[in-house]
Amino acid sequence: MNTATAKPFSERMEPYIAIIGPMVMILAILLFMGVAEPARYFRATNLNLILLDAALYMPMAMAMTFVITQRGIDLSIGSIAALSSIMMAFLIKQYGFSVYIAVPIAIMLGALMGLINGLIITRFNVPDLIGTLAMDLVYRGFALVIAKGLVLARFPDFLTEIGRGQIPGFVPIPVLIGAATMIAGYVLLTRTYFGRYTIAIGSNPEAAELTGISVKRHKVYAYVLCGACAAIGGILLTGKLNAIQATSAPYFNLHVIAAVVVGGTSLFGGRASMLGSFAGVLLLSMMINALVTLRIEFFWQSVASGVVIVSSVALYTWMQKKDRDGAGGLLAGLQTPDGQKMLRFSALLIGLLIGLLAIGGIFAGDPNPSG
Amino acid sequence: MADTPLVQMRGITKRFGGVTALQNVDLSAHAGEVLAIVGDNGAGKSTLIKVLTGVYQPTEGEIFLDGQKIEFASHAEAIEAGIDAVYQTLALADHLDPAANMFLGNELTKKVLGIEILDLKRMRSETERVLMERLGVKLKSLDAPTESLSGGQRQAVAIARAVYSEGLRVLVMDEPTAALGPQETARTLKLIQAVKEQGLAVILISHSLDDVFEVSDRVHVQRRGQCVGVVKTSDSSTQEVLGMIVGAEEAA
Repeated sequence: MNTATAKPFSERMEPYIAIIGPMVMILAILLFMGVAEPARYFRATNLNLILLDAALYMPMAMAMTFVITQRGIDLSIGSIAALSSIMMAFLIKQYGFSVYIAVPIAIMLGALMGLINGLIITRFNVPDLIGTLAMDLVYRGFALVIAKGLVLARFPDFLTEIGRGQIPGFVPIPVLIGAATMIAGYVLLTRTYFGRYTIAIGSNPEAAELTGISVKRHKVYAYVLCGACAAIGGILLTGKLNAIQATSAPYFNLHVIAAVVVGGTSLFGGRASMLGSFAGVLLLSMMINALVTLRIEFFWQSVASGVVIVSSVALYTWMQKKDRDGAGGLLAGLQTPDGQKMLRFSALLIGLLIGLLAIGGIFAGDPNPSG
Repeated sequence: MADTPLVQMRGITKRFGGVTALQNVDLSAHAGEVLAIVGDNGAGKSTLIKVLTGVYQPTEGEIFLDGQKIEFASHAEAIEAGIDAVYQTLALADHLDPAANMFLGNELTKKVLGIEILDLKRMRSETERVLMERLGVKLKSLDAPTESLSGGQRQAVAIARAVYSEGLRVLVMDEPTAALGPQETARTLKLIQAVKEQGLAVILISHSLDDVFEVSDRVHVQRRGQCVGVVKTSDSSTQEVLGMIVGAEEAA
């Protein structure tokens, strides 16, 4: 009966490893900001801002977790968000639809676009990367065709409420919506056929097929979910800004994929962590907010996001390899010649990055526009 | 073994275009028996069991289960009739735990507030029960992903998945010991014994004559798409079977 205590520490940690990565980074940010800018970073209004920003990405990160776990990727969510929101905006502004009807229609349109993605990938056997990248262009193109250069603004209160409404003394409404989708995603992942088959398909597609799972159908389901959630993201964005245009939401794809991957969901399929995705979304929003608080130029965000993605994927791949080789603990793995080589390479990269950041810091202009 | 065989294949021929993979092959296996199929590469072993498990349809010939003629359009129909296979690759989803793998594609569910959700607890206890009662295997942890188990334990999970179905009569095992070390091989052979003792017919394909002679009751030898003989393991020797595989007794 002492199996629980006899289990080695590393094995007991196994289920939590996914969450440890982002948690450590979140702690690091908190510590750093606690030293650098405690007054401005930890203000209630700023924490509220971080949550408000994170909430936007939560539904999409939830859906993307399923897509990535099935060894897929969806690069079209930004355009789906923009196109479905623009159509919703036209329905409301031009055709006088009630907002209570237009919002569900937008979500259904998003699901429909996801369905098209899924069918292109499974029926025409277009690789997911190319298929969704191409459809990203198609959806963005439609958005531009429909909206031209128009900025549609000033929507009914219902939309701005779900986009940036605040429950007095509590969190913003979009945060509740985002958290609810993440909880729903967790239940979906761990307690339903869909979630279980998602992991099985990502883990071993041939085995899944052999046990009678309809692999293609479940892949399509994941893309439909992703499309619908992208539309929710678009609606939240529209409400938050109280405006929408064809070029909105350009960075949704990579931001959401980054959050999911940082959260420990494996790009190689089969390893999913909904809690990790939640932490990943939170981490990215905290990081971006920290950069803003530190008055580092907006453009550095993209550098920071990229570095976080590369380092976390490298770290997870490395950890996975260790437990496959069974080469003792993580530290023992570093002692091998390969580990040494890798350490030197990472040191070089980090050095390079620090150098770049220093250059950026020295030559950065005044963040406040002159005049 | 005087009674009718549990499963019988008669005059099976399978052609792929102009290539004849199987030529008029007969095969029979009794309940509570391990029948080994041996033969060189390309002898038709895999094709033969793929015909038996419904993956391929025979060009000619008939299959009988319990004396009744059966035909399968797909592997799923064969499983329904009581013939299942455990593949060399085991077909396990390594990231899922043993219970999830055992019930993959066949999950147990319960209703909560009218919504059908997976019954994780029951699947877990059933897995524990089947592994213990039918295979005599106890896993240290049922929560760890299957990839963390040893080769023999993974084998046990794959076999447990097949024998969990009450209707299973014939279990085909394709090279179960090919990728295993000596210890894990011994464990897998014990699993095969356990399955056999429950009155199932086990059809074992193996390259290892040592394994075949340790666990099987009869040996069916394939060469170039034809059955060149069936011998009782107890009356035969590795030399004899090896001779049949390479066709030495013909040349002599």
